[in-house]
Amino acid sequence: MSRALASAALVAGLVVYPFADRALGLQTVHAVSDGMIYVLLALGLNIVVGYAGLLDLGYAAFFAIGAYSMGLLNSPVLGSPLYGHAWSFWLCIWLAAAVSALLGVVIGAPTLRVRGDYLAIITLGFGEIIPVAIRNLGDITIEIGGWRPIERLNLTGGENGVNPIGRPYLPGVPFETDPVPWYFLILVIGAASLWAMNRLRDSRLGRAWMAIREDETAADCTGVNPVSTKLLAFALGASFSGFAGSVYAAKLQAITPGAFEFQVSIMLLCMVVLGGAGSLKGVILGGMLITLFDRVVLAETTFFVRWVGRTTGVPALVAADLTLWRWLFFGLGLVLVMLLRPEGLAGRRVRPAPAADDDADDATLADGAPAPRVDALPGWLRERMRRGGHASEPTPILEVRGLTRRFGGVVALNGVDLVIPRGAIVGLIGPNGAGKTTFFNAVTGLLRPDGGRIAFEGASLVGLRPNAIVARGIARTFQSIRLFQNMTVLENVLVGGHCRLHATVPGAVLRPPAVVAEEARARTQARELLDFVGLGGKADDLARNLPYGDQRRLEIARALATEPGLLLLDEPSAGMNPREAETLTDLIELLRRELGLSVLLIEHHMEVVMGISDRITVLDYGTRIAEGTPAEIQRHPAVIEAYLGRGYEQDLAARDRAR
Amino acid sequence: MEWWEVLVQQTINGLTRGAVFALIALGYTMVYGIIELINFAHGDVFMLGLFISLSWFTFLGVTKTLTGWQLVTILPLVFVLTMLSTAALNVAIDRLAYRPLRRSTRLAPLITAIGVSFMLENAALLWKGPAPIAYPDVFPSVEILREWFGVDSAVFITTKDLLVVGATIPLMLALHYFVTRTTWGKAMRATAQDRETAQAMGIDVERTILMTFFIGGALAGAAGLIQGMYYNIGQWWMGYQAGLRAFTAAVLGGIGNMPGAALGGFFIGFLSAWSDQYISARWTNAIVFSILILVLVFRPHGLLGERTPEKL
Repeated sequence: MSRALASAALVAGLVVYPFADRALGLQTVHAVSDGMIYVLLALGLNIVVGYAGLLDLGYAAFFAIGAYSMGLLNSPVLGSPLYGHAWSFWLCIWLAAAVSALLGVVIGAPTLRVRGDYLAIITLGFGEIIPVAIRNLGDITIEIGGWRPIERLNLTGGENGVNPIGRPYLPGVPFETDPVPWYFLILVIGAASLWAMNRLRDSRLGRAWMAIREDETAADCTGVNPVSTKLLAFALGASFSGFAGSVYAAKLQAITPGAFEFQVSIMLLCMVVLGGAGSLKGVILGGMLITLFDRVVLAETTFFVRWVGRTTGVPALVAADLTLWRWLFFGLGLVLVMLLRPEGLAGRRVRPAPAADDDADDATLADGAPAPRVDALPGWLRERMRRGGHASEPTPILEVRGLTRRFGGVVALNGVDLVIPRGAIVGLIGPNGAGKTTFFNAVTGLLRPDGGRIAFEGASLVGLRPNAIVARGIARTFQSIRLFQNMTVLENVLVGGHCRLHATVPGAVLRPPAVVAEEARARTQARELLDFVGLGGKADDLARNLPYGDQRRLEIARALATEPGLLLLDEPSAGMNPREAETLTDLIELLRRELGLSVLLIEHHMEVVMGISDRITVLDYGTRIAEGTPAEIQRHPAVIEAYLGRGYEQDLAARDRAR
Repeated sequence: MEWWEVLVQQTINGLTRGAVFALIALGYTMVYGIIELINFAHGDVFMLGLFISLSWFTFLGVTKTLTGWQLVTILPLVFVLTMLSTAALNVAIDRLAYRPLRRSTRLAPLITAIGVSFMLENAALLWKGPAPIAYPDVFPSVEILREWFGVDSAVFITTKDLLVVGATIPLMLALHYFVTRTTWGKAMRATAQDRETAQAMGIDVERTILMTFFIGGALAGAAGLIQGMYYNIGQWWMGYQAGLRAFTAAVLGGIGNMPGAALGGFFIGFLSAWSDQYISARWTNAIVFSILILVLVFRPHGLLGERTPEKL
């Protein structure tokens, strides 16, 4: 109730403000409206930087594209094939957003191949190229040996920019003379954008962005397509700056290329980082603080310093102009925020990640994993698996023939055959470096095999991207746990459901009944899965804060959420104590027994792998050296030689005698 | 000028520009090799190198062209003083701004580096003002072809061109010797390959990183001094532009690869000189950045670098 009250008060305040301003004669509406445009830009940048984790250093390019789309299409002055159309503002604002989104895809396209800081440099490059291009395209002359096919062509207005630009027309609304309609126009656009962003954040698309930000490979292996997800982030982020740029151009009535330089990109980045990347409230706060600082604090402090200078008679202070220091302060601000509060003012407080593998043993001792219960098995999963196919079908679920993969001169996999009958648990063992994980990576699409066939449900998987393979029905876990650390436990599992959900951008924003129902169902299903693996009470914890054993089980829950027919587990019991390993064995057996789930298991715990596997394949130096039942494998001379060791044989004999 | 004279002249231009880019690019590539950070502020250390060297000349009372014995005493002294100054600056930047973030996410130090770059640029702006600063013509300029060889040619080669090459090449060779032949260099290469393993082998990783920033800063300072003596002009924003071009050079050579960075620097030098002449100076930036983008997208390991598989 108090929340609703606060919202009502906020809306009332925003509506009353311009009139109060006029009554008091403050004349701040213009400046506040300009500030809101920058906040809107920062919110758009937040989609790219905060949600998808892609550092964009050239965001001002999108701002420029939005402004120039408006300027060129809506200027009444003739002089270029591109401009002088004087199209309606209301049409141009949508065109500007569309053009910006298109450019977002163009600039985003290189991200398909580039990661992290290289991507940042590419965006910086585009951010530099766009103003250069705008400047130079104002005066094009091409001369080839005296022949001039193009002479003094002016496409963009060059250094002088575009001037004037038409204003929006609404009957009876004085956009020409009064700042208040502008304020409301920007307020409405800003509020609508915020509303849309909020809904996107809480949709399957928002979760996919964050999953990509946290761990791109793991996201890919959980069914999130990194390519389309990143492109969408770029396109949507750009489209919001298209709105902001077009309103900016129309409000100012004139634009020049100088307004879209690198500094603007950095100021916007400051807003996002200061407030807290990924937090809408934080970005608004950061945007307001920086605008306030830039427009008010620096100017007022200059007055104050000069006053101090006059009273004390220090000439240096009288002549001081702190507004010249603004970029120095922005630089300092970026450094201080990153050093002192990297999550920003309103961001989630995150402790630095514990060093990998530290104290793994301690952590496992701390919690007792509850034994898996058949009745806790989610009904929907049982239902889904039953539809997926029957254990009695004769075709194997996975059939790998002659799989080969080389790294330079090293043959990591050498013509490996492996068949998993439907509903079977197959163990994959071998010494370290035998190629087990390489085998997993080839089956899940992370590595392209150099030769051989991989058929799942009778269809070839070779050449498919990992997320497409997940959609076909193969899920995996990782040897070194790869969760989405800064997402909640529930969100981790929901990302697993990504490839089974269908909401698109309009769906996520408008939320038709089908999307609402789908989302509610996904949440119920995810909670049931968490109850099943024993994490029911921790749904809202951050994944990074879970103890080790819980993280392992969360990874399995996330894999199950993709509704797999085949589950690949890479050393699931690594770092577990015997009791926990036993619980895990029970869990895998139960999944197979109750759901008919097929499992391929890499394992070093011999009790685990010998206890639950129907068949075992042994790899050594990339070659399959044995295949058979656990009993056969335990007595196979080549396996004893390469992996189990002579001692193991004697242990086994001693144990048999003791029985 | 005949067409071939234009080409020769622009190629010489490119060589001198490239030498400066190469020195800056080495600092980028060394730091990236060792802590995987694009040290965005590196170009601005170069810019400050120019201003600091100017201050050293002023401090030593040099306001006009050096002659005779001054060339072999004062000039080396200013080289050393400038390089020490920028080396100390670069180390201080690392200690204050980057070191606290060693274990944080990869983007955090990059954002910090951008912040540092802004601070340095605007500190220089407040220090020297927005107008271009005249750098005294301390190095004697003699037209070599005409004065020394009596050749009457439109091509213009001066002793300053010799200075650029004569100062750059020994620095690069010294660096190469240091990295490949000394214990320190071995520690640097080991740390660049695998920081944790290097630490386990008893290498003081933090001291190695410090050494890397020190050398990178020194090279950037030398580049700033050379730039000042050659062009006799300096401006607060020149570090940003030169830095980006040098970074492009480092990427071209395969980032982390030192001979690659040097070659890349010369390549970008030639390219920008030719582009200024044959296309248009106003498009040169766009062309350099297009190359940067194309290389990053299609050969992210550079033209010389090796492909490294992603760790899973």
